[in-house]
Amino acid sequence: MKKICHEWQKYLDKGFIDKKYWESFKENAQAASVELKEIKSYDEALPIIEALIDEVNAQKLAGVGQDDSKAIMNIYHELGKKHQIYTDKFAITENAPILDIGISTAEFGVGETGSICVDNYSYEARLVSMLPPINIVFMNKNNIVDTMTEAFEILEQVFDKGYTGFVTGPSRTSDIERVLTLGVHGPSRLILFAVDE
Amino acid sequence: MVQRNIKSEIDSKLHDPILRSNLERFSEQYPIARAKAYANVDSIEDLRDDLRDMKRYSVAHIEKLADEFQASLEKRGAKVFRAKDGDELKEQLMAICRENNVHNIVKSKSMATEEIRLNDYLEEKGLHVKETDLGEWMLSVAGQHPSHMVMPAIHLNRKQCAKFFSDELKEDIPSDIPFMVQTARKVMRKEFLKADMGISGANFGIAENGAIGLVTNEGNARIVTTLPPVHVIIIGYEKLIPKVSDASKIMRLLPRNGTGQRMVSYLTLVDGPTPIIHEKNGKLIEENKKVYAILLDNGRLKAAHDPVMKEVYQCVRCASCLNVCPIWSTVGGNVYGHIYSGGIGAILTGLLNGMDEFAQFSDLCIGCRRCTTVCPGKINIPDLIQELRNRRVAQKGLSTPEKIIFRRIMTNRKIFHSLLRAASLGQKPVKSGKFIRNLPLFFAKMTEGRSLPAIADKPFRDRAEELFKKNPTNPKMRVAFFSGCNLDFVFPETGESVVKVLQDIGAEVVYPQKQNCCGKPVVGAGDLDTARKLAKQNIKAMEETNADYIVAACPTCAETLKQTYKELFASDPVWLKRAEAMSKKVVEFTVFVEKAYAKENRLKDVQGMKKITYHDSCHMKRSLGIYKEPRELLNSAAGYKFVEMHGADQCCGMAGSFGMKYADLSKQLLNRKIDNIKQSGADTVAVACPACMMQIGGGLDKNAPEIKVKHIADILAENLK
Repeated sequence: MKKICHEWQKYLDKGFIDKKYWESFKENAQAASVELKEIKSYDEALPIIEALIDEVNAQKLAGVGQDDSKAIMNIYHELGKKHQIYTDKFAITENAPILDIGISTAEFGVGETGSICVDNYSYEARLVSMLPPINIVFMNKNNIVDTMTEAFEILEQVFDKGYTGFVTGPSRTSDIERVLTLGVHGPSRLILFAVDE
Repeated sequence: MVQRNIKSEIDSKLHDPILRSNLERFSEQYPIARAKAYANVDSIEDLRDDLRDMKRYSVAHIEKLADEFQASLEKRGAKVFRAKDGDELKEQLMAICRENNVHNIVKSKSMATEEIRLNDYLEEKGLHVKETDLGEWMLSVAGQHPSHMVMPAIHLNRKQCAKFFSDELKEDIPSDIPFMVQTARKVMRKEFLKADMGISGANFGIAENGAIGLVTNEGNARIVTTLPPVHVIIIGYEKLIPKVSDASKIMRLLPRNGTGQRMVSYLTLVDGPTPIIHEKNGKLIEENKKVYAILLDNGRLKAAHDPVMKEVYQCVRCASCLNVCPIWSTVGGNVYGHIYSGGIGAILTGLLNGMDEFAQFSDLCIGCRRCTTVCPGKINIPDLIQELRNRRVAQKGLSTPEKIIFRRIMTNRKIFHSLLRAASLGQKPVKSGKFIRNLPLFFAKMTEGRSLPAIADKPFRDRAEELFKKNPTNPKMRVAFFSGCNLDFVFPETGESVVKVLQDIGAEVVYPQKQNCCGKPVVGAGDLDTARKLAKQNIKAMEETNADYIVAACPTCAETLKQTYKELFASDPVWLKRAEAMSKKVVEFTVFVEKAYAKENRLKDVQGMKKITYHDSCHMKRSLGIYKEPRELLNSAAGYKFVEMHGADQCCGMAGSFGMKYADLSKQLLNRKIDNIKQSGADTVAVACPACMMQIGGGLDKNAPEIKVKHIADILAENLK
């Protein structure tokens, strides 16, 4: 999958990340309506996703990021046994308007705001994270930086061209009577698996 | 340009109950939400300084940044154009549309395209254009303009929104908010999928790599920049920043200030052409999409090279200046220019849409300076508005009545003061009409909901000699009293209190009879020549007294004498020196007395029977930065117990000639103030500003006559024998 950087971890490890930022990340992400799932390994995500598929009666899924992670590839493989899940970029594109759940990845989180940094240079990564009503995201729980200042210091080193950014909770609007409503253009649910890798 | 009737527009807003209650609720909630969003930040001031400094650097190097931004984008495969104005941009855009055979366009928030009315143009050319931000989509359907830069549809309620939905979709849509949002999702999704061009604005453009940042909660900008095969970025020069890391300086403030969020849902960063997978000749292929950027000037480069107005480049369009503005939160954004509203909107309209449009509503800024306390870029919004007013007057001149009053009457102190004396006898020439509202406030007729005090029978200046007989025999210092027009002609008894309090702390008080109006109303109207004449008269009068200190018990006069005169003579070295020498001696009354009382150990915490609260005058708190001293003095006032009121520092609505010109609007601000005073449970409200005393006194007289308004000088004098 096309990314703005294939060595995020190398830059994150330059003293930006620390476990101590987790608590404020958690608080801010939940305040922004992120459904946060702390798990010890990728396998723990499977039953949770299965339950979600049942809950919303999902018919079609799509996922990206398997070429960078064996664990994610394995999840897609397992899900594929019982469900329709697209992982090929052309198949994702073809089915994008009718997807129920999209699965993608994030590089790191920001403690100050509860945001996740997403490397979405690839077209299919943007489709799966924006078009379906539910977006599931996998992120390394240990990759949390302190504030937006540090987040942009990392970007300054890795962002030469392409498409990236920060996602903080699901799509929302308050344009009618300032009443908060989730899921206007993008997903109404953002489920974040923070994996303690 | 259409000649507008602002007064009748304001009147219709004042009688729009939906608008009024939406805004009222919002202005109560906003400061709380903002404070909560900043709760996990060490220092807001440090963040504001960082942002201001970064933007100052950017505007100082704007051409270099533009070249770098363009080169960065071109290197990555995008095409970049520069448009000197809206017409040129429209031609460039039409060429792009023709080249790519574009029919359907989706857009995400771009103020610059609103500014040049791009949508109207594209539709005239037969293109199908859809705004995708929910609020903007509803307004475009309704043929309305946004009333706020961040919350475009804040003036509407759910029923009105449902009607726009129903009209557009030709079916009956119930006024259920989640249902409407889901409907919008479906309708808009179709537009996204069939669009062959996406147009976006940019919250910032990064010179070093050519990336743009897009801030949305809905996520529409992410889809606009993803699905269509062509992306056109329309970006104003003021959005350019040097480096990637500079973006955090914007992003740590913009969402917190704009919507009270620590971060928006989507901060999207796009840099150059990115891949798209789409059908071509019957099969799916992956290729880079086409990216174009148009840098819009339309007055921006001129502003960048203007030594004063370049400060607007520090704006990040968070609209927090509107959120705290007493005028915006009473009448909403549609009474300003067609796109940019509030204080910053007046400035942007003047610079980008023209001074004729600006002049029609420029006096809606009452100079209360609340906006300057929240602006992330630390822009002195009221000062920039004043600068534009000054330029307008320099270019077009004053209206005839203003010309007569300022130049013929006010500069001739004898004529001016005999007119004021005549007013106390109720003589005709000053009683009504346009003539009056341009004179200092106390000329005004009584207005509904507020009584204004009459001109005193005997002005302070005629009482001075008698008072000075009680000057101490061995004075510690010599103090010249600058009364200002209000304490001289409307509240001479308060003037007497001032003298009594000063004498009590050992001052020999003198009153230079040749002192004239400080000139603030004239400065406000932009007549700087006349203001300089008044300044010279006052400087001369004060110099002749040879006093150690010059004390004013009116914060507006104090500010004018201490600060404004120096600015007026910035390019006149001789008078600048004299203004500076005088400025050093000028002290505001409560500061002067508090210092003396502290020395004499007279400050203590008194718990008297009568409850007293304090109203901060805008000039006192936000121009002079004085708010502790009055409270210290009230805390120690015998017989009183000091209590704070809600919104103590909100404007009372007087604000110079504003209170006269927009009497109905002013009354709304006054009513809010009176409610807060009542709710504090105080029997007395103390002020340190004669203009506020006049306004609040008038309001209490009509609505709560049991509550008294008193100048702090009067309260202190009560306790002296």
